[in-house]
Amino acid sequence: MIDKANPTPIGRVVATELKPATPHQFHFWTATETTVGIGAIVKVQGAGSTEQGAGRVVYGVVTDGFAYSDLATPLHDVVGAEGDPARAADAPTARQEIRYWTAAVLRQTPEEPLQPVPLGQVFLADDADVAQALRMDAFLYSATPTAIPIGLYTSAGREAPVYLDADFLIGPEAAHLNISGVSGLATKTSAVEFLLASIFTHFPQHKGRVAAVCFNVKGPDLCFLDQPGDLSDEDRRRYDRLAVPAQPFERMKLYAPLKADGVNLNTLRTHPDLVGDVEPLTWGLQEVVDYAEVLLNRDDIDAKADAFIDFLRDRVLGRTFDDGFGGTHRVQSFADLDRLFRSIFDGLEITAGGRSDTWRTHHIATMRKVRNRLLNISTRCKGLVTDDGPASDLPWTEFEDRTVYVIDIANVDPLGQDLVFARVVSKLREQLERRELGVDAVVVFVDELNKYAPGDGPDTYVKKMLLDISERGRYLGLVLFGAEQFRSQVHRRVVGNAGTQVFGRMDMDELATPGYQVLTPATKSKLATLPIGELMVRHPHFTQPIFVRFPKPPVLRGRDGVERFPPAADVPFDDAVVRQLVRLDRRIRPNQVKDLIADREQDDVRRALAATRRTRPDDPLAYFRKVLGSRVVAEAPPAAPREHRAVQPLNPISDEPY
Amino acid sequence: MTWWQALIDAGAVPVAFVPNPAAARGSKDETEPADRAAFVEGAELEAHPVPDRGGARIPPAVSFLAGFARWGVVACDGIIQVVDAYVAAAVRRRDGRGVLHTTFERNRAFAVAPLERMTPGLRQALEASVSDVEPIDGELAGQPARYLDTVETAVRRVRAGLERELAEQCIATLGAEEWLLLDGLLSRSPTVARHPRALGVINSHGTQFLEGRGLERALTLPAGHRTSVFAVRGGHTRTEVYSWYLRLWPWEGNDLLYGLLRVEARPDPASVALASELSGWLVAERAPLATPATRWDRLLYPLHNVEEYLKARAPRDLSKTRHRLPVAS
Repeated sequence: MIDKANPTPIGRVVATELKPATPHQFHFWTATETTVGIGAIVKVQGAGSTEQGAGRVVYGVVTDGFAYSDLATPLHDVVGAEGDPARAADAPTARQEIRYWTAAVLRQTPEEPLQPVPLGQVFLADDADVAQALRMDAFLYSATPTAIPIGLYTSAGREAPVYLDADFLIGPEAAHLNISGVSGLATKTSAVEFLLASIFTHFPQHKGRVAAVCFNVKGPDLCFLDQPGDLSDEDRRRYDRLAVPAQPFERMKLYAPLKADGVNLNTLRTHPDLVGDVEPLTWGLQEVVDYAEVLLNRDDIDAKADAFIDFLRDRVLGRTFDDGFGGTHRVQSFADLDRLFRSIFDGLEITAGGRSDTWRTHHIATMRKVRNRLLNISTRCKGLVTDDGPASDLPWTEFEDRTVYVIDIANVDPLGQDLVFARVVSKLREQLERRELGVDAVVVFVDELNKYAPGDGPDTYVKKMLLDISERGRYLGLVLFGAEQFRSQVHRRVVGNAGTQVFGRMDMDELATPGYQVLTPATKSKLATLPIGELMVRHPHFTQPIFVRFPKPPVLRGRDGVERFPPAADVPFDDAVVRQLVRLDRRIRPNQVKDLIADREQDDVRRALAATRRTRPDDPLAYFRKVLGSRVVAEAPPAAPREHRAVQPLNPISDEPY
Repeated sequence: MTWWQALIDAGAVPVAFVPNPAAARGSKDETEPADRAAFVEGAELEAHPVPDRGGARIPPAVSFLAGFARWGVVACDGIIQVVDAYVAAAVRRRDGRGVLHTTFERNRAFAVAPLERMTPGLRQALEASVSDVEPIDGELAGQPARYLDTVETAVRRVRAGLERELAEQCIATLGAEEWLLLDGLLSRSPTVARHPRALGVINSHGTQFLEGRGLERALTLPAGHRTSVFAVRGGHTRTEVYSWYLRLWPWEGNDLLYGLLRVEARPDPASVALASELSGWLVAERAPLATPATRWDRLLYPLHNVEEYLKARAPRDLSKTRHRLPVAS
């Protein structure tokens, strides 16, 4: 820490006609041996009242550095060494050298009149200076502080916490965070895990309740957020410094679809000690059709197909429906839908004698195409999409405060990933709009934005949805934390709307793209060699990017989790059924269940199990026995026709600048 | 083919040198009349090879002393030119990493004027505004060019005094293994001239102590060689010192004085015994080059560094380039 009574200057501002000091940039020199480096925060002030610029304090961040000697030309060094590089080091006197730094102004006090930086002494910044320099004082020391620690500023041998403003991270002033960096070294996932822990600790009570929804799209990355990881003493010290408990997430719920067998969970968190905390995620026809646009290839689905899907959604699903050939249908599942299609096609073939190729104004080819696409979904996403309605879903009205909801779709077909993604985010938006979610703000963490919101390529539903969150989410409390390897390849409005930008180690090719032109070559070099655990942060309050270090997340890393809790092998069908029923009632004995389902059709068992899971009766085994006793009928139709709650149409992607 | 090529082909050494009359004149110290040299190492002047850089023994600690003077005419009282002058000297000590640190430093800012020739009002104003006035003889005031030579001599005398005082101060605190290497005559101060670890390095050669064959050997000395040691008397005290010439860089292709130093050491047989070793040390000081100084071939970098240090600390107003355009009245 700086001895405030007698701070020692570490440099001096210098200005020449060619390199003058300006209101936004200045230059200073230091001793050759100095702790100053790229990213260091410094303070300029006159040493006394007689010094130029006395009374004005300028904070800056070092953006470039130069070293040179009084050597007029390299040729003189060659001559001095007589052409032998080995002799160059023999020179008894070291040439006069300079360490010359360029700093970008972070803040001036007083702010008006804005003047060139005075040619004063340069000091290293201490905690208070860092808070001033980054304009954190406004939200750190206010009556209702909104500061969220993101890491420690550790340049120049100093260490000071750096805070983000919750109003600009979660909303409503600005929102969203985007993190870029190369795979494996940029620690993007770790950074987000730490930041979520920090948000859960420091999100101000007066701003309400907050939760996070994380999509696990790679291996076991986010499957063990509730398990403690190994932390070094240095990490723990950093947690103390940032006032964030070094503990895993207390409340974490993991949702995973089932595998194609309909009973085993499609996740790597299947170790017997942990699988009990995993909730199945399965959806039915109703949920899928609302998001048909996500699933259907735009090249295949034209206006006629759209019209037919709308017809199905509005007139058929969940209603008693006469097919016009004497059959009455109530379509609640894919199986019901298939039966309807068969009935229609048979009717056209048999009743009309093959002379008609339209049904209710819809051409048979259109109907066949829609049938193929829709039924294909239940095949490709088997386990996620069931024949039997919503067996298990997120608690859309009961989200809990400071809870992480992890949705593991790592092993799901890309089509299914899109479906999960679109439906979950859309539901979050709907519920937040209605203020019925249970929390006031939700952070949605999406990795691989390169894939979901690419800068080029087709306008997919997912991309439109991410744009919608980026541009309007902050008003709702729907906050996107996106991560990607190549920021330049993500849609510019998605990254542009992120109030907070974070950069881990970057690829030099990526840094050569136009989006990084504002950075100095030195800053780019630092970004290209950034060590694990260090990030560059841009935030609305910071006028320049700041480098911070964050501690290792307090949770078990995915790879470590798989080693410590090896996934269990898939269990046989009857054992899986037993396991799921025992989760509902620990008194249930396996043999009871196995006797009950012996010689029964697996589809019937699955339906009975889904019904039991959905109903959660007081006596699960009795209920299971009851519904298994006969054909498990679909849920009773609602008294009134199902209100169609398709998500509101998203604005088409336009070239409107953000 | 040029006419001089024929001369070179016949055995002359090729050189290339366009003399600067002012520089060729050398410093006043070096143009003072001098006694002829008395040989103390052999009967006649010979060339001796010195250890190359690899074999040189460089003292672990060396202090370097150099001075600096700057002056300019700032006002005229009739034809009497009044001069603003600044002289400074510093000692910078080289640490184990080869970095120089200032240990002693002195400066003096003063006016130079023939007070007795000035009008009373202006003399009073001068004495009231500047506390340090160096009086000079105003006899030559009517001959501006010669008058300025007198001014230069006065300023140089002040500088030499400052350097002498600093050298005496420095040797009083010199460490057991530490040497003092000063830019100029060692013989300015008898105390310094007798010190066993003080050397003077002279790189302007206005005064010649040799003649005939000895002079020719000295001025055509090959690079990496020194002459035999001889005794000379110098400075206003006529203090005896031992001296020898040393060639740092080959003169062929340049000029006779290129890379030529004259070294002064205490008048003691030990100096003769150490002459080659000390010369090897000075040869090792060729690197780094003292560029961009024009005399880099015979200016040791640490002394150049002291000069640059003093220049950087000199008052800014003296370093301004004075315009020569007529000033509107």
